Amino acid sequence: MSVVLLESAVVHYEALGRGRPVLMLHSWVGSWRYWISAMQTLSSTYRVYAIDLWGFGDSTKLPDKGHFENQVALIDRFLDQMGIGRIALVGHGLGAAVGLEFARRNADFVDRVMTVGYPVRSGALELRLSQVSLNEAAGWLLGDVDGVDAVTAEASKANAVVIQQCLAEMPASPDWNNLPTCLLVNGGNDPLAAPLVASANQVLPQHCHEFYLDQAGHFPMLEDDLRFNRLLMEFLALGSGESPRSLQLKEEWKRRVR
Amino acid sequence: MAKILIAEDEHDIRELITFTLKFAGYDVVAVPNGQEAVEAAAREIPDLILMDVRMPIMTGYEACQKIKENPEVKDIPVVFLSAKGQEAEIQTGLDVGATEYLLKPFAPNELTDRVQALLEKAGKK
Repeated sequence: MSVVLLESAVVHYEALGRGRPVLMLHSWVGSWRYWISAMQTLSSTYRVYAIDLWGFGDSTKLPDKGHFENQVALIDRFLDQMGIGRIALVGHGLGAAVGLEFARRNADFVDRVMTVGYPVRSGALELRLSQVSLNEAAGWLLGDVDGVDAVTAEASKANAVVIQQCLAEMPASPDWNNLPTCLLVNGGNDPLAAPLVASANQVLPQHCHEFYLDQAGHFPMLEDDLRFNRLLMEFLALGSGESPRSLQLKEEWKRRVR
Repeated sequence: MAKILIAEDEHDIRELITFTLKFAGYDVVAVPNGQEAVEAAAREIPDLILMDVRMPIMTGYEACQKIKENPEVKDIPVVFLSAKGQEAEIQTGLDVGATEYLLKPFAPNELTDRVQALLEKAGKK
C-alpha cells in the first residue's frame, strides 16, 4: 500500500505504468479499487494514479477533513507532493465533481477531464443514505452486476458523514465553457446520474461531449470495462485541446501485455 | 493467502504482474533476475514461481535448475513466461523442471485465471 502524509493525515494511493500522468478519482461508495482494470489498460502508455479521497478506502476518515472543499484541496496537495504538473483527470460521481472544480480553478494544470456518472441526480443519494447502510447503498448502485467485489468490499470503509457533507456542499453543474476538454460518460441505467438533456451535445460547447453506454449503470468501468477502457484510451490519446466529438464507441478490445 | 514469486527483468511487465496479482489477493514478491529468484525462493518459500526465461545475471533456465536442486524448494511449481514466437523454448523449460509455460502477451484477467488454476492444481488454494 502506498501512502503520502498530507496535513499530518494519511492519503492512500496506488500508481501503475509509465508515461503522461492520469489521476483517477472514485465515486460515492467504494474506493480506488474499482479503477484496477482501467489502470492496467492505461499502464502501457500512462502513469496512472488512483487515490482514496478523504473519508474513503484507506485514507483518513476524520469528518473534518471530508468537506468538499478539502477534497478539492487534496488534489492540489497530492499533485504537488508527487511533483506532477499538467494532468488528465478521470472522475466518477463525487470524484467527477471534485475533478471539475479542481479543473475550473487550475486551468493551467488540467489538460482534460473525463467524468463518469455525473451530474448527480439531486436528492437521490441523500434519500437512499438516510434509509440504508453504505453497503446497501452500494448494492443499489450496483444493481445485479457480478464480480464487483472491488466496490462492495470497500463500501463499508467510507465515512457516511463525509458523503453527506460532500453531497450538501458540492457545487451545481459547472459552466462547461470555463473548463478544459471534457468527456462525460454515463451509463444508461445509472440510478444516480442525471442526464443533462436529450440534446446535451447540442447544448455543450464543442470541447465537451457526452457519451452513453446503454447497458451500463453507475459503474461502467466494471460493467462494460472493455468499451469503457477503450473509450478512455482514445480520449486520452486526443491532442491537447482537440474536441472529443470525433470519438466513437468501438467493439470489444483488449489491452495485452507484451 | 498464497505467496507468488515473480522473476522478470522488464520493469513495466514486472510492475503490472505484481499489481495484478497483489490486488487479486496474492502475497507477491518480485525480483529482476534469476540469481535473486533463487535467493528469494529459498528465503520466501512461495507457493508458485512465475519466471521470465531471458533475464540478466542468471537466466530463467539456470535459476529453475538451481531451485530444483534445493530440497527445501524443489517441489514449488515453476511457470515460465515466454514471448510468443519463442515456443521452441518450451521443451527446454520443461526439461529443467518447469511445470508450465505462459506465453506473453497475456491479458491481466488471463494471468489471474491461470495462476488460480495452477495453485488449485498444486493444492495451494
